[in-house]
Amino acid sequence: MSLLLQSLVLGVLLGGLYALLAAGLTLYFGVMRVVMIAHSAFLILAAYLAWFFTSSTGLDPLLSLLVTVPLFFVLGVAMQRLLISRLRPATLTMMSVLLTFSIALVIEGMLGFVFSGTQRRIRLPYGGQSLEFFGANVAVVKLIAFGLAATSLLALYLLLKKTQFGQALRATIQHPEAARLVGINTERVAGYGFGLGLATAAIGGTALSLDSTIYPSLHWHWIGPLMAIIVVGGLGSIPGAAIAALVLGLGQSLLQIPLGTTWAQTFFYLALFATLMVRPQGFFGGRLAQRF
Amino acid sequence: MTRATTRGGGLPTALKALGLLALVAVVLAFPSMAPDPFILSVGVVIMSYAVLATSWNFVGGFTGYISLGHAAYSGLGGYATGLLIIHTGINPWLALLAGGAVVALLAVPIGIASLRVRGASFVIVSIALVLILLLVFQSWGSFTGGSNGLRVPRPFDTSVLRPEQHERFFYLHAALLAVLLLAWWAIDRSRFGMGLKAVREDEDKAQALGVPTFTYKLVAFVVSAFFTALAGGLYALWFGYLDPIFQFSILVGSYMVLMSLLGGIRSLFGPLLGAVIVGYAVEYFKNQYGDTQFHLVAMGLLLALVVLFMPDGIIPALGQLVQRFRPQAASIREMTAEDLAEQRRTQDAADEAGAPTTTSERTDRETEGVRP
Repeated sequence: MSLLLQSLVLGVLLGGLYALLAAGLTLYFGVMRVVMIAHSAFLILAAYLAWFFTSSTGLDPLLSLLVTVPLFFVLGVAMQRLLISRLRPATLTMMSVLLTFSIALVIEGMLGFVFSGTQRRIRLPYGGQSLEFFGANVAVVKLIAFGLAATSLLALYLLLKKTQFGQALRATIQHPEAARLVGINTERVAGYGFGLGLATAAIGGTALSLDSTIYPSLHWHWIGPLMAIIVVGGLGSIPGAAIAALVLGLGQSLLQIPLGTTWAQTFFYLALFATLMVRPQGFFGGRLAQRF
Repeated sequence: MTRATTRGGGLPTALKALGLLALVAVVLAFPSMAPDPFILSVGVVIMSYAVLATSWNFVGGFTGYISLGHAAYSGLGGYATGLLIIHTGINPWLALLAGGAVVALLAVPIGIASLRVRGASFVIVSIALVLILLLVFQSWGSFTGGSNGLRVPRPFDTSVLRPEQHERFFYLHAALLAVLLLAWWAIDRSRFGMGLKAVREDEDKAQALGVPTFTYKLVAFVVSAFFTALAGGLYALWFGYLDPIFQFSILVGSYMVLMSLLGGIRSLFGPLLGAVIVGYAVEYFKNQYGDTQFHLVAMGLLLALVVLFMPDGIIPALGQLVQRFRPQAASIREMTAEDLAEQRRTQDAADEAGAPTTTSERTDRETEGVRP
């Protein structure tokens, strides 16, 4: 029983992190119709920056967020302005996949080049501590990661719902032409939306670095589950991605008891193929998703 | 009109035949010209890439569905061939064909699932397929050898030395490539190929016009998977060793895309040209920067440059460059009004004679000729 509870708690914590990362992916897709393969590469980049920050200064890795979040935001805006917006509109979706894939390769190669392929891990004073929660042991680092994810998702929600920029962003996602007609500068909004997505990668990557071993090619490990989440949730739907992330995270965590960690991972891919068979547009997206 | 057509349509037939002959001569002569076995083995690798890229182009080029995960089929083909030889002891060449058939069968349900979505979702599914196969082949150690890899028995006698083996496999790959090019050429000129290209240009309109788009896509997908599996199987027989990490790698799949895009997915020889360039670059970078991950950076930058500046590939880009230095097509007709009237008269006569097929054939040729 406590094993089950443990899995449930871990699943929710994992799902929260997945939700944060998938939210970034749906932002890119919403504002630019771009499937950003490099998202998980930026995640690993942020994790490496956090590790480098901690190992060279000895300060808490969370402090590196003060640098990486604005840095990634600017990088995202620059990427959208300088690279993505140059692609032809007719082939944008396909070519953007290849373009972001090449960015992922460059990041992976540079990480290997600069930091070598050695596996790295941050040593934290509170790394080994855990809390007891109704008989389930929960590592403090996992709680911190979940807290980061929850806080940033809440901030993202408030930003989208309560500010004028959020309104403009949502309008751009829903109907770019109409948004342009009512005077929204969709180009600029798309750039900021892209930056916002990349900023979530900075937070997610730092959260990830707290309790996992990192190496340059780790992003391949993440890309599959994240892509599965946004397809199951329906491309472009933020609530869909969040719900799918929680469900799949929980499912993976629960399946780990009977199947072991490796086979439990196939759950994501099975969910992906099952979704395509039953509802190709995903469970929450509109018909929009099927076209891209 | 005819003059304009030849101008837009590229090289005259005689020159094309000469080029083809030269290509065949270079391929046949390469093994005897190669200075040492290492260069010869690089030649085999490049040939293998050419076969893979051309196989990829049966889906990518005709339908515009970009699959980043074709390594799934080459890896499955390699493993199917190796496992069939080991577990049933049949003739290696028979195992190669049977492996291809098995993969083609597997590709049917995969195609049905993944071709239901377009564009980005399709790419995601293709990536997911490679990742799931990597996971399965790594974990299922008792059957596939797992992370220890799988040793594939040599198809030739031990008396055949390594350089000779390289030479034989070079010609085997070349023969498979010739078959593929012929098949691509035949499909390109068929009604089936026209339907596939209609899917590429506008799938909804093609469907509205009565093209059975899903069946066409599925057939092209399965054909592509079959040939990719043959390429993987042939590579397995040559290399003699399979490791899941290298067989089910998105990097290999992305090489196929890069090669085809670089050469030009709409042209017959595009993937071959791309394979020669990219294959040479890959081998060069691995040789020079093998210890670091720098070759990834080089490949990434190359892919980004192609996507940003040459999405139609080298062959069309070069064609446009040549076009620039040729006499410009004048906007004024180059035939007299008399000639034109004469041409119209013969055309009308042909139409009245009840030969609508000739008209449609002519328009097809014209539209093809105008587009580079």
